[in-house]
Amino acid sequence: MGKKLLIVDDESHIRMLIEQTLEDLEDEGVELLFAENGKQALELIKKEEPNLVFLDVMMPIMNGMEVCQKVKKELNLSCVYIILLTAKGQELDRQKGLEMGADRYMTKPFDPDEMLSIAEEILSI
Amino acid sequence: MVGDKNTYYYKALKSILKKDPKIVLLIENLSKQIGVKISIVGQDSKLLLGCENKYSHGFDLSKNEVVYGVLHADKEQGKLLADYVVTLVNKELEKKRIANEVLGLYREINMIYHFSEKISEIIDEKSIAEMALHEASQIMDSTHGLFLIYDSNLEKVVELSSHGLSPNSSNNIDTQNQILKELIKKGTSLIVSQERINNNPTLSHLKAVMYAPLKVKQKTLGMIILGHDKEKEFTAAELKLLTTIALQSAVAIENAHLYQKGLKEAKEKEEAIKIIHKVSQKFVPNEFIKSLGKSKLTEVALGDLVEKDVTVMFIDIRGFTSLSEGLNPKDSFLFINSFNKKMGPIIRKNDGFIMQYLGDGFMALFPNGSQSALRASVEMLNELKKFNKERSSKNRLPIKIGIGMQNGNLIMGITGDIERLDAAIISDTVNTASRIEGLSKHFGASILLTGSCKDNLTHPEEFNFRYLGPVKVKGKQKPIALYECINGDDSNLFKHKLDTLITFDKGMKLYFKKEFAMAAVTFQQIVKMNRSDHTAKLLLNRSAHLITQEIGDDWKGVESITTK
Repeated sequence: MGKKLLIVDDESHIRMLIEQTLEDLEDEGVELLFAENGKQALELIKKEEPNLVFLDVMMPIMNGMEVCQKVKKELNLSCVYIILLTAKGQELDRQKGLEMGADRYMTKPFDPDEMLSIAEEILSI
Repeated sequence: MVGDKNTYYYKALKSILKKDPKIVLLIENLSKQIGVKISIVGQDSKLLLGCENKYSHGFDLSKNEVVYGVLHADKEQGKLLADYVVTLVNKELEKKRIANEVLGLYREINMIYHFSEKISEIIDEKSIAEMALHEASQIMDSTHGLFLIYDSNLEKVVELSSHGLSPNSSNNIDTQNQILKELIKKGTSLIVSQERINNNPTLSHLKAVMYAPLKVKQKTLGMIILGHDKEKEFTAAELKLLTTIALQSAVAIENAHLYQKGLKEAKEKEEAIKIIHKVSQKFVPNEFIKSLGKSKLTEVALGDLVEKDVTVMFIDIRGFTSLSEGLNPKDSFLFINSFNKKMGPIIRKNDGFIMQYLGDGFMALFPNGSQSALRASVEMLNELKKFNKERSSKNRLPIKIGIGMQNGNLIMGITGDIERLDAAIISDTVNTASRIEGLSKHFGASILLTGSCKDNLTHPEEFNFRYLGPVKVKGKQKPIALYECINGDDSNLFKHKLDTLITFDKGMKLYFKKEFAMAAVTFQQIVKMNRSDHTAKLLLNRSAHLITQEIGDDWKGVESITTK
């Protein structure tokens, strides 16, 4: 089964930027999925069980924290690796995110090189 | 940009046809509307849209004459759709270009963020320079870097770090020093023009050069120069980035300098404190400070105190006043110093310490008790014999000392006020010891100690004593038993006293029994044998005097001595 990566952000340009950052992964057979809010994301996660999710925290219709909690604490999908995207300096978000079961966090604006290498590492590429 | 241009364009084509269902739907609707059947094939002949059917017309999908796919159509009108797809691909490429630019900015922001985070932790300028050049070369396409700083001690510009091979680099820095100094002084950043690069032989290996100043507050500490050996133009954005790195580095270097300066000052202060501590130890005995439970004089505070059982010893140079009469004050001082210099080590050797110098003597404390105090007393008297031998060889009169001691409880503490502190001891023991020392003159004895002092001895058998009876010293109600230790006396006198110990004791007993005539005769015998036995002489006189006196029943032989 091919590897799947889900990008969740309510802002389309951010989705595009993450897509562009990770586009080389497509050559490695990774399928990129997209969601623009938490609800959509949760449905996609249930359906597709992606290997990795880049999840924005601040979103309308279910924020990233809730998604994270539902995936990790209710659905017990521990195989879904979640990286929270928080704004720089929001220490509280980071703390809370990790409590909600997020595996890692990255600050926005993200470092593209770092994002790609982390994704490659987690997807073992 | 990744890969070849056609792959890059092809990716954009795939991207719009594979990922955006709306666009695919639009193209399909359009082709139906105009009644053309189409298929799109990528540069790798892979079918991206439509069916495998070969249509008669093929239209290249290209950009700048680079073909990345073909749109096949059954009619000429397929050209319209091909143009449309090309426009869409161009838009997609434009979007990607902008996205890449934004990602580039993201990269820069993160680099600066990490750079300033990392660099703020570095405290030596060389590492700062190395890191700045490393980060600059990571983010900006360059082959050469040079980090220069103005050394105010050497009064010239020197290299802190460099990367990329530059022929004669250090030589060039020296020959160009004046120019570099001026550039640094100016404090501006610049992309150097092609013409200036060509005209400067030291830059002959480079095709592009830019530099930025290491500015902090109002000064410029140096500059960072970045170069490339291939044809390229540094952009305004790159110059801005270099300037940012330079500013961060300058702040870090300034902090490093402050840190080093602070470190140096702290070390100097530490050294000064060490010296003060060493010197002050000599003024305030370390044992005293230790007794207060402190390790350094600086830890001692007003009001610190401790209660201890110790032996207090007073030493006095007899007749110092008359001795110093013939001396000027300076010589007097030198004399006292030569005396103290000999006695101090003996006190310390016997675990005592000198609490205070008193002009013609000193007060010493022995926390271990009277055994060590008495040992020290005898040793001091022996030392004095040698001292006197030296003096007599120089035709100087021998000096005599009197030692008195008492042991008991005393309080050691720090007294004074905030501005003036001093070590002090407050105790009745001290007063008594001082009085006992005074008595040594009265009795003509070298060492006098109290009964409690004698009781405190762990090895009394090391010494020989004569009991001198109870005395009442000035300011005290209770009589104190007084003993003379004879071991420090000159050998002749010591032998005499030792030989007459029993006789002396007999005399004292007769004296207390109020048989003064018999006592007088007994002491007379002793004095006859050695005229220097002043104690016996005193008791002879006292007994003789009492023969004619009327003595009450309550007479206990207590001698009241009112002199100090």
